[in-house]
Amino acid sequence: MATARHGWSRRAQYGLFFSLLGVIAGMVIGLVLLTMSLVAPQSFASIRGAALDVTGPVAGALNEVSATATGLVSGAGDYWDAVNQNGQLKRERRAMLQRMIEAKAILQENQQLKATLELRQRSPETIATGRIVGSSFSSARRFAILSAGSGDGVRVGMPVRSAEGLVGRIIDSGRLASRVLLVSDSASIVPARLLRGGIPVIAQGRGDGTIDVRPLEVGRNPFKRGDIIITSGTGGLYPPLIPVARVVKLDDDGAVAIPLADPSTISFAIVEAPFEPAAIAAEKTVANADAP
Amino acid sequence: MVRSALSSQRRIGGGPTLVAGAVPAISVVLASFLAALPIVSTSGWYPDFGYVALIAWRLLRAEPWPAWWAAPLGLVNDLFTGYPIGFSVALWSATMLVLDLIDRRTMWRDYWTEWGLAAVLIAIDEWLQWRIAGLVGAAPPIIRIVPPLVISIAIFPLIAWIISRIDARRLGR
Repeated sequence: MATARHGWSRRAQYGLFFSLLGVIAGMVIGLVLLTMSLVAPQSFASIRGAALDVTGPVAGALNEVSATATGLVSGAGDYWDAVNQNGQLKRERRAMLQRMIEAKAILQENQQLKATLELRQRSPETIATGRIVGSSFSSARRFAILSAGSGDGVRVGMPVRSAEGLVGRIIDSGRLASRVLLVSDSASIVPARLLRGGIPVIAQGRGDGTIDVRPLEVGRNPFKRGDIIITSGTGGLYPPLIPVARVVKLDDDGAVAIPLADPSTISFAIVEAPFEPAAIAAEKTVANADAP
Repeated sequence: MVRSALSSQRRIGGGPTLVAGAVPAISVVLASFLAALPIVSTSGWYPDFGYVALIAWRLLRAEPWPAWWAAPLGLVNDLFTGYPIGFSVALWSATMLVLDLIDRRTMWRDYWTEWGLAAVLIAIDEWLQWRIAGLVGAAPPIIRIVPPLVISIAIFPLIAWIISRIDARRLGR
C-alpha cells in the first residue's frame, strides 16, 4: 500500500497513493456510519433486516440438524433408563392430577372474584411463534436470532417469551427473521416482582447470561436463594406474571439470578403483542436509546 | 539445499486456481458468516472470527486483497454479527493501515511477533466493542471482556494455520 517504499515508476506511485486514499476513505465512511448507527439506531433498520433474512434461514436449517443430533443422543439415553423413568413419571402424574384439580378450582374462584371486581384484563395475544436459531457470538451485547419476521407480523418492541419464561424483546426485524434483545443483555431492564411476597424489583441483565435483581425500595435485602422473579406488567411492555429468573446468589443490596428461559435450550419462542398498545409509542423512544 | 530450493515442487497442472485473487476475501466473509451458526451463546465468549481471519490473512500476505476492500468486508461482518453498522468498517480499514505502517518499521518478524501483534489488535477490538456497548448504556464490568479476549488470542494460531493452508491450496502449492 502507499506507505510502502515506491520505486521510480510514476504509475506505481499513483496506484499506491490512491490505495492509501481508499483505505482512509473506508475508515472515514466507517466512522460516519458508526456515528449514525449510535445516534439514530433505526436508520439502518431495513439493511439490518435484509441481512437477518440471509442468515436466519441458514441458521434455521443448521439448527434442525443439530437438534436432530442432540435428540438422537438424549433419546438413546432415555431408553437406557426406561423402567425407572416410567415408575417416576407415573408417580409424578398422580401428584400432578391432584394439583391440576386444585388449580382448576382456584382458577374458577379467581374468575368469579375478577367478575365481581369487574377487572378488565386483555388476554395476551400471540403474534407469531418461531425458533431461537442463533445468537450474538462475541460482543458485550446479548442478542438472539428468532426465525419469525415482519412477514409473520413481528414488529420492533414486541415481547418474546417461551413456555419456560420471558426471553426478551424484538429490536430488529427482517421479513423472515428478527433479532431479540435477551433479558440477560445489559440494556434490558424488566420491571418485575418477587413471586413470594410480591415485592417490586428491577431485573437488569449483566451481559454474561445472568440477571441482576434489585428491590425498588432500599432496605433489607428481600431475596433468598431459589426465589422466582416474575414480570409485574409495569410500563405496559411485558405482560404481567411471566416467570423471568431464579435467584442463585445474593450480594449486598440485591441478587444475581439466571433466566428461566435459557435461549440455548428452548425450542420455541412466542412473540406477543405489547401488553398495553400505548407502550409501543414509549418503546419507540426507548428502542432508540438501546438498539445497537 | 540449493538444488532443492531451485527445483520446483509444483505438480504439472497445478498453479494458482482461477479465483485465487478472490479466495482471501471470500474466506473472511465465510468466517464472518460463522455468526449464523445455530449456536446460542449465553456468555458471548466466542471469538470475532471475521476479524481474526482478516488479521491472519494480512500477516501472511502483504496485500491479500486491495486495501480498500477492508471497508466492504467490514460492512458484511457488521451485518452478519449484529455489531453497530460501521464498527468493523472503520476498525478493519484502520487495521490495514496500522499493519502497513508496522510492516515498514519492522526489520524482521517471527511467529511470536505475529501472535503478539494479533493479540494487541484483538484486545483493541474487544475494548472498542466494550466502549461502544458503554455508549448505549449496556456495558458490563470491564473484567467480563477478559475470558473472550483470552479465548480469541488463544485461537489465533489455529485460524492462522487454517488460513495458511487455504493460501497454499489457492496458489496450487
